[in-house]
Amino acid sequence: MSLLEATNISKVYGSKRGIEHKAIDNISLSIEKGEFVGVMGPSGSGKTTLLNVLSTIDRLSAGTLTINGEEITRLSKGKLAKFRRREMGFIFQDFNLLDTLTIAENIMLPLTLDGWKVKDMENKLAQIANQLGIDTILRNRSFEVSGGQMQRAAIARAIIHEPTIIFADEPTGNLDSKASRQVMDALSQLNSQKEATTLMVTHDPFAASFCERILFIKDGKIFNELHKGDNRQSFFQEILNVQSMLGGDTDDLQTVRI
Amino acid sequence: MTFRQFAFNNVKRNSRQYLSYFFSCMFSVAVFFIYAVIMFHPEIANYDFQDTVQGGITAAEVIIFSFSFLFVLYSTGAFIKSRKKEYGILMTLGISKSQLNRLLILENTIIGLVSIITGILVGMLFANLFIMGFSSLLGLEDSLGFQISWKALALTFVSYFIMFELNSLIVVWTLRVNSIVHLFQGAKAPKRTPRFSWILATIGIGLVIAAYYLAWTSDMASIGYRMMPILALIIPGTYLLFTQFSVLFIHLLKKNKHLYFNKTNLLTVSDLGYKLKDHARLLFFVTILSAVAFTASGVMYGMFESAETEATANIPQDVSFISKGIDNIEKMDEEIKPFTTALEEEKIDYQSLAVDLTQAMVTNNDRETRVNLLSYSDYQSLLALNEEEATRDLTDDKAIVLTFSYEMSFSNPIAGELTLQSENYQETVQADNALSIVNSNFHTGYTVVVSDQLYDQFASVAEPNEHYRYLALTVDDWVANAEYIREHVEQVDSDIVGGSDKASSYLVLRNTLSYALFFGMFISVLFFLAAGSILYFKIYQDLDKDIRQYQALYRIGLTISEMKKIATKQVAYLFFIPFILAVIHAGFAFKALQNMLESSVLLPSVTLISGYLLVYVIYFFFIRGLYIRKIKHVM
Repeated sequence: MSLLEATNISKVYGSKRGIEHKAIDNISLSIEKGEFVGVMGPSGSGKTTLLNVLSTIDRLSAGTLTINGEEITRLSKGKLAKFRRREMGFIFQDFNLLDTLTIAENIMLPLTLDGWKVKDMENKLAQIANQLGIDTILRNRSFEVSGGQMQRAAIARAIIHEPTIIFADEPTGNLDSKASRQVMDALSQLNSQKEATTLMVTHDPFAASFCERILFIKDGKIFNELHKGDNRQSFFQEILNVQSMLGGDTDDLQTVRI
Repeated sequence: MTFRQFAFNNVKRNSRQYLSYFFSCMFSVAVFFIYAVIMFHPEIANYDFQDTVQGGITAAEVIIFSFSFLFVLYSTGAFIKSRKKEYGILMTLGISKSQLNRLLILENTIIGLVSIITGILVGMLFANLFIMGFSSLLGLEDSLGFQISWKALALTFVSYFIMFELNSLIVVWTLRVNSIVHLFQGAKAPKRTPRFSWILATIGIGLVIAAYYLAWTSDMASIGYRMMPILALIIPGTYLLFTQFSVLFIHLLKKNKHLYFNKTNLLTVSDLGYKLKDHARLLFFVTILSAVAFTASGVMYGMFESAETEATANIPQDVSFISKGIDNIEKMDEEIKPFTTALEEEKIDYQSLAVDLTQAMVTNNDRETRVNLLSYSDYQSLLALNEEEATRDLTDDKAIVLTFSYEMSFSNPIAGELTLQSENYQETVQADNALSIVNSNFHTGYTVVVSDQLYDQFASVAEPNEHYRYLALTVDDWVANAEYIREHVEQVDSDIVGGSDKASSYLVLRNTLSYALFFGMFISVLFFLAAGSILYFKIYQDLDKDIRQYQALYRIGLTISEMKKIATKQVAYLFFIPFILAVIHAGFAFKALQNMLESSVLLPSVTLISGYLLVYVIYFFFIRGLYIRKIKHVM
């Protein structure tokens, strides 16, 4: 059974005066447990909107969405909040760490909201920080560390409560190539070792090459789908081919990094 | 980290942003507390002024409290709404609405409790000083003791605690969270080009000018019913000035290409356009708050300083005594003796002059008024005693009706053709007015100066009861000896001799005004601080956005010194536009006050505004330094 099941979902922006824009146009998709799925597409194709509606931080205009057997479209606000707290993890392009908190406090925040015991929280934190290689910066405030460290802290925050699914929106968008590599390594390790289901939006072919499957979106519709074979290098080349076929703007094409 | 620690960390690490808000709250709590200490002071119940003082304090407390309520409501709302993106992050982490509410209320409770406790501590620190000042103000022999009743503590704590809680409930309750995406976008929603309407801008200017005109031309009689219309014109007028006229003004500036494209003006002006529009409501509040602060303290201080001149204008002679009827006149010298002896004992120099008066009835507008008649040569001697000179001669068919300046504005004093009629004589004269040189008394309405010859004719046939004797005294340095003089004038038997002195009028004015000053000054300062606090918060809040802009400009070659110039100008505009407008508003209020007073309020008002300006300039440099330092950090 698939972990995430979206059926005929649409998202329409627009005013009552009639100018409507279909950001998501009747898409159906499903994600299996433990999968690492990428979403790519040119600017304005609707990839971030897709992630937003699938992750419940934006509302659907039409269609049904089921995650882990729970029909999200029917949940009340309060239940939805609880659902996000326990079942979902978020990683953003601009990290979205709270700068009033230290790195450690940021990472513990989901557990705090869930009312965990301090001792349990600390154990969990130590374990995760060690895993992501950020145990030296735990006492720093978020603005005192590098971008790569911030993003790994954000990943730690996204997985500390062991969610069933992780949503990542351009996680490498603000990072240099070295930091990108560390972050992607961390994400794929999580995926392979802990079977953390991950949905990632990106326009970076290098980051995308870590995925097992990539959905290409254009004008709010699924345009193409790629599966990784045995070789990441050839997968990367395939991604570049589809991208140029999609005819996205040149600024969406990244220079080869490997 | 527990949930409570999370809230605590949020407050602690945002403390710079909360700083000036916190100081304003603390100051308001401190002032409220000090007044409460006096209100509940156990010894005050023993004094007979208890009712007046407690009335004044209660009024002051109500003003402070309602003002604090609005201020805290506004600030809390602004703080909470400025952190929308943070709520977005928390919601993705699965915070529920009730948890978010609890978090915000918890944070506000922490800020509230800290303000209340530090406010009360600061209040305790200064309460003793205040009690001493208050005792000397009331002229108490021995100062009230340093006692803080638990009632004052409880009242301050409970009322402010309820206020903080109620305000955060209101704000949290009105915080709408639809979808998380909106919260993320809210922080970076694009701005629309500011727009204005010619009509509204013109109406704004018109309203303000109309209010200025009303204030400029008001006098003692009209200020009462003009007060509300002036307020009703000036407040919406100011609002329109900021929301409409400011945009119009920037629009015109932009049209002048030479000016607009001259170096950094492009950046300053275009940015200012957005800022003025964005901050229109805030600048409006700041202006009104400052104008109220300036006007209230200026008017009270001006009146306080003018007490001596006002007393002189209404009471021409330092001390005077008057006796009516031959019998009383005979006893007069003996009655006054203790007073003059008292002056001599204290080595207070004085000069005196006794003149005789008689009386007549005057009919004017169907109303009979009893007046005193004074001979022209005595009039001249009285003027000479005050070191003045008569400006005109008087023929037999003329008369001068002596009036006081305050009468001029209320009613037209009698003048024109007058028939003077005593028991045994009658004469018709042409009368005009002059400022009085004779203190008023309770026997007659006016004093009329007539020629010596006419006076003799009235006096020679006057009944015994129509004779008066008036004794005028010039006392050296009466202001310094005011208490002493008043005390001894009061001892004269008023059945025989009617006394009148500047000292008592001066003391009454001075006491009343010092109460008003005492209660008003702190409230004014509170308003002023609040205005500063609102500005601080707004500038701090814009800092993030501005930093990003300067970062971008730096990359295309903006130098640090140019950045400083632009930043200084922008902060200065936000600071000084409301200040200058408030000063102009207050200036017209001072003019209205001036129309009612004899003495000049120019010096006191200039002193006061300079004081405010000094504080404001220091504050400005502080904020500018903070602002530039933050921007420099990223450049």
